[in-house]
Amino acid sequence: MWPFSAIDWVMLTVPIAYLVILIGSLGVFSNLYRKRKAATAASLEPWFPPHLQRNVYLSLLHMEDPKVPDSILKAALLRRATEDIHRIVQVRNAKQALQVLLQRGSVGDDLWQRFQRAEKEIEEELRDVVNEANAFAPNWGQTIFQSASEMAQNNQIRERLSEITSKTAAEKEWWEKRKVGIQSDFMKELDDEKDGVMVEKK
Amino acid sequence: MSGTDYNYDEQGQFFPYFILTVTTLVTVPTTISFLRPSKELENTGTTIDSDFTPEHADLIQGQRKKQKRLERRIKRGLLMLVGWAMNAAMVYLILVTARTTPDIWNPYDVLGVNRNADEKAIKKHYRKLSLTLHPDKARENPAKNITLQTINDHWVDVTKAFKALTDEEIRNNFLQYGHPDGKQSFSIGIALPKWIVTEGAGKYVLLIYALALGVILPYTVGKWWYGTQRLTKEKVLIASAGKIFREYDNDQGQVGVIGALSSGEEFNEVLTGNKADNGLSKLEQKVLSEGSESLVSQTLTKKDRQKLVDLEDSRRRKVLTLLWAYLGRVELDDETLNDEKFEVAPIALRLNEAYTSIALAYGNTKAVLSAYHTSQNLIQALRPGASPLEQLPHFGPTVADAAEAERSRTHLTIQEFMRIPDAQRKARLVDAGILNQDQYSTAMSVASRIPIFNVEKAFFKVVGERFVTPSSLVQFVLKGRFFPSSATDVPEVNPKDLLDIDPEEGDVAAITGRKNDRSGEKPIQPPLAHAPYFARDHAPRWHIFLADSKQGRIAVPPFTFSTFDKPILDESGNPTYNVQTLKMQFGAPPQAGSYTFVMHMICDSYIGMDTKMEVTLVVEDASKAEEVEEEEEISEPEEDSIAGQMRSLKTGGAPPRKRRQANDDSSGSDTEGDVESESETDTDTDSDEE
Repeated sequence: MWPFSAIDWVMLTVPIAYLVILIGSLGVFSNLYRKRKAATAASLEPWFPPHLQRNVYLSLLHMEDPKVPDSILKAALLRRATEDIHRIVQVRNAKQALQVLLQRGSVGDDLWQRFQRAEKEIEEELRDVVNEANAFAPNWGQTIFQSASEMAQNNQIRERLSEITSKTAAEKEWWEKRKVGIQSDFMKELDDEKDGVMVEKK
Repeated sequence: MSGTDYNYDEQGQFFPYFILTVTTLVTVPTTISFLRPSKELENTGTTIDSDFTPEHADLIQGQRKKQKRLERRIKRGLLMLVGWAMNAAMVYLILVTARTTPDIWNPYDVLGVNRNADEKAIKKHYRKLSLTLHPDKARENPAKNITLQTINDHWVDVTKAFKALTDEEIRNNFLQYGHPDGKQSFSIGIALPKWIVTEGAGKYVLLIYALALGVILPYTVGKWWYGTQRLTKEKVLIASAGKIFREYDNDQGQVGVIGALSSGEEFNEVLTGNKADNGLSKLEQKVLSEGSESLVSQTLTKKDRQKLVDLEDSRRRKVLTLLWAYLGRVELDDETLNDEKFEVAPIALRLNEAYTSIALAYGNTKAVLSAYHTSQNLIQALRPGASPLEQLPHFGPTVADAAEAERSRTHLTIQEFMRIPDAQRKARLVDAGILNQDQYSTAMSVASRIPIFNVEKAFFKVVGERFVTPSSLVQFVLKGRFFPSSATDVPEVNPKDLLDIDPEEGDVAAITGRKNDRSGEKPIQPPLAHAPYFARDHAPRWHIFLADSKQGRIAVPPFTFSTFDKPILDESGNPTYNVQTLKMQFGAPPQAGSYTFVMHMICDSYIGMDTKMEVTLVVEDASKAEEVEEEEEISEPEEDSIAGQMRSLKTGGAPPRKRRQANDDSSGSDTEGDVESESETDTDTDSDEE
């Protein structure tokens, strides 16, 4: 046939192969890149460790036999709220600093992504706690975090206090030693003085 | 395949030029950068020499050498060599091919006349030649290889040349275009040898092209891009910065900071494979067990120790224990462990920079101080709470204890210790048999050479103004002198040196700091830190920042100074007691009032040399500054001059403008925010001195 016999098939494959390789490699690259990006996004470490208090509360809530009394559930919810207070304080403190650091290029993008995820998570968590509290008693949701933050502060002060008091024994011991040292030094000085006076008298 | 319009470089005349140009463009800058000595402070500073060799000096030296090897610019050197070899080859090619190119027929040369000879002279010369060169006159001379043939040829040549030159047109052509036939069509060629496009070579050229564009280019770009993405501004791995950020806590002291630093990814490069937990149990026993005499277990509280033991990652546990072994100067009885001990410290110092920047972003004074103090501890290999005297050679905990004598809770700093009379110092150490005479004198000689920056005066000012007005650009000027620690008879400061005189109004160069940048002179650098245990050279740096003591926050972020403008020592090595000027700039608060800051000055290399000082910034109302100006009898500036316009602006001559300015002021949020908005560290500020 005329049109086909005039074509140099071998030479024709060259541009076609070029196009295939070009488009194919671009396609493979974009595919791999997207997959990797998705994988890293999925494997981002969570900002906070597992929420123990929430887990305790939820397992108590779902215990059917015997049913957990309301007072215990409320206490567990308060504990959960206290932990949330800790977390929200951390998130609030970190936000501004993290923004500054990100702008300066001192931290990476994925940290910021992790942080934003944590922020969203904590928002959801707060809403959930408010709902749960309202389910126990109407309008408790408005005050539960106030009590929780008081509890958190109380805990903090107690910890600090116990830290200070735990040092007393060591400090006392040191002071006793020092006192003895000072006393003996004084006695020595007095003796020296006496000797000196006696020498002078002679 | 070759274009019909372009000639390839068949004789290889031009492509060597092309390649030579390209390689020179690469080779010359590479050579310059290879041969130029490094400008880093660590390489230019002097050292505080002493004959003290710490334990395992060989290991520390080994670590230093390892670092040197890493810093050697091998790749650059290779590139340079290859470049010059290529250049040489190209020059050779140029020289060789130049001989083969034919000369253009030049009638002047053939006749042997000057180019600017006129027709008459040419004719005369031709006649003269005809007397000797005409075939009838010239003789054959077989000895000189002159035959009838050559004589004839030469004569024909000469006649042609003469004809060419006597013909007006041809001569003009030659003079104008350098060719007897007139203007030549110039041809464009491709400076590539022809064989590149001949049948067989085509596919190889294509292959090289594909490799260059398809493999090498993407690879280098990718490597560069991911290389820049891997590191933060502080040259720390992104992952490390993230981990340290997570470990950061405003309230943690130096123990906490060191714990946070151990999370760095950089340590993985050092402790690879089974190094990650080799000897961990031995290490833990040596460093942390209650019974051992190591002071680390006393530094760490029970809680800290529990935290360390509870770490799940055994590599991190090892890193942290190694760091504590380093800080406690614990002998580990194991060559590799000791080596690793010295290896982790410089890495930790680098990570500490990332920690410092995080602390600065939080703006908490205590955290920043902890970070700076950790840097001191890492450089001096001392645990937090150790006596600063242990920075001196031969001074261990027991020696420091004996030297301090008063068993108080606070330690003596080196300068306090040196202020004690020499006899008393000696009595405590040498006479008590704790140090021998040599050790004592080594320690004292080092102590006397450690420079201490003593602040003489600190004040705020605005250039060209008498008062600090709201929202103006304030300079915090710090005047101080370097003392050797042992200084006893310090001369009085010349009060003139403590003044900071503004440059003359017209002196633009001085105002902008250009005149005094001393670009010709080398800035003065204090000696490198005396840190025998730290496996790197380190140039001391001084960080100065202002803190708000009530809120415990940083008001003006730190300015870092590592070089000074006046010599510290004279030629014979004696202290000059020159007054050094340090300046930092920031925006004044927008409201009038007096603000009290605490100025912290911290040397990052030595423990116990921090300066803390209260400074008050008095911001006067803008109207007061004007009153003073009016009282002064200055000639009224012309209305249309710039000064006059400024004045009318200030005094309210143009009310609408003024109101807008006032609005600008009030929009700048609160005091602190405005002060904090100032840019961060700037090392150059010491250059603009009065």
